[in-house]
Amino acid sequence: MNLIGIFFSSLTFFFIAKLFGRAAAPHLQEFGGDYFPFVLIGIAFSTFLGVGLGTSASALRQEQMLGTLEAMLITPTKASSVVIYLTLWNFIYSSFNILVYLLLGRLVFGIRFTFSQPLLILVILFLSILCFSSLGIISACFVMVFKRGNPVNWIASSSFDLLGGVYYPISILPGFLQAISHLLPITYALKALRGVLLAGFSLTEVKTEVLALLIFAVVLFPLALLLFEFSLRWAKKDGSLSQY
Amino acid sequence: MADTCVIRTRDLSKSFTPSINLIDLLPRVIRKKPVVKAVEGVNIAVEKGEIFGLLGPNGAGKTTLIKMLCTLITPTKGTASVNGCDTVKQGEAVRKSIGLITGEERSFYWRLTGRQNLRFFGALYNLKTEETKRKIDFLVELLDMDEYIDARFDEYSTGMKQHLAVARSLLGDAQILFMDEPTKSLDYHSATRLRRFIRERIVSQEKRTVFFTTHILKEAEDFANRIAVMDKGCVKAIGTVPELRVKMKDPEASIEDIFRYFT
Repeated sequence: MNLIGIFFSSLTFFFIAKLFGRAAAPHLQEFGGDYFPFVLIGIAFSTFLGVGLGTSASALRQEQMLGTLEAMLITPTKASSVVIYLTLWNFIYSSFNILVYLLLGRLVFGIRFTFSQPLLILVILFLSILCFSSLGIISACFVMVFKRGNPVNWIASSSFDLLGGVYYPISILPGFLQAISHLLPITYALKALRGVLLAGFSLTEVKTEVLALLIFAVVLFPLALLLFEFSLRWAKKDGSLSQY
Repeated sequence: MADTCVIRTRDLSKSFTPSINLIDLLPRVIRKKPVVKAVEGVNIAVEKGEIFGLLGPNGAGKTTLIKMLCTLITPTKGTASVNGCDTVKQGEAVRKSIGLITGEERSFYWRLTGRQNLRFFGALYNLKTEETKRKIDFLVELLDMDEYIDARFDEYSTGMKQHLAVARSLLGDAQILFMDEPTKSLDYHSATRLRRFIRERIVSQEKRTVFFTTHILKEAEDFANRIAVMDKGCVKAIGTVPELRVKMKDPEASIEDIFRYFT
């Protein structure tokens, strides 16, 4: 069913690209000028983003609801590790989805992706996972303390969709929105990934984006772990670990 | 002289501010909410190899106390050490040496089999795959679970669930077992079997320590080496049943009399 879903969403954007593709071409010169490959990478990668942002919080919420959270936290494994482990399967599954998108793009829609820099692609994906997971862990802090949905996920996913360049290049945004989009890790992740996959860029050509992702990861990941530790302490102090 | 106590609390207290909402992010001086004193000034020392019972009515603070000892709740005041480690400052070290058994059925994955549940928790106890398998096989035999270990947890009877909880608590070589009302949902025979197993195998043979809570008077009398009677967050008396009779100055007092006297 998931494969059919991926195929249908790819097909939808294929026809949208046929309709508006030419109008978008001037904004897409650096990525080859074609809208469909551009947006296909955007939507494929946004599933990755969704996993990073949402899984920690939803997994934690699920454990709270099931009643298994305390049983996990009584083991010697660190709570932050538990939350990270809970998201691993979703990242593997999501990586598989990205692969399906790229295969469909190549085999069904005839897009010529460049895989000359596999290591660089992995580095970009790894740094992106760190950035998005960090935001997801921060989001899980809200669940830990308030036992309900949280604003971090909502704000991040909405702003990433609007300003991150998932569906359109950020160059079409007004200046102040472009400035904001440069504060989001997804902007750099997508730009780097599209550059490597569509234009065959090497590390030298995407070094700014990779460096930006590295800085985001170095700042966000420890911050997320720190906040998670704080929220756990809060819940222990409040005696609300088993509450849901 | 070396401290032979594996559990020790000093003036251990816990107060709760009811309900969490955004106002709780404000400093305490701004928000004012009623404080519930769940545990107050508890001083307990439990020796290695002892079965220690915490007896009290519902709402006495037994579960809060056991959760503080298991690092799941942070005390408001006082200290607690388990196996020589501070429960707040050395939580991870404490968790390496303990197991917790509750009457809470929701602490397992209902759609997994008993074996799959144990495998999952084995990973959280940092056991390697082979070691987990070996340990599960050993525990299945030890607890006589071979008939149902591969059935889904939602098909288990209450007694089976409790056996699985015991097996999980032993996955990580816990030296101290905390049991929060372990027999509250069990019938007479199942409860007796479980208590016998813990006394003969876990304590007498393997020299582990058991700290359990109960509101069942007979269980406290028959199962525990020593009892602490707890009421309204405070420990009212500690000792063996004969010692508690002496404190009451009534050598003929039954466990019911003791309970009524101290609560």
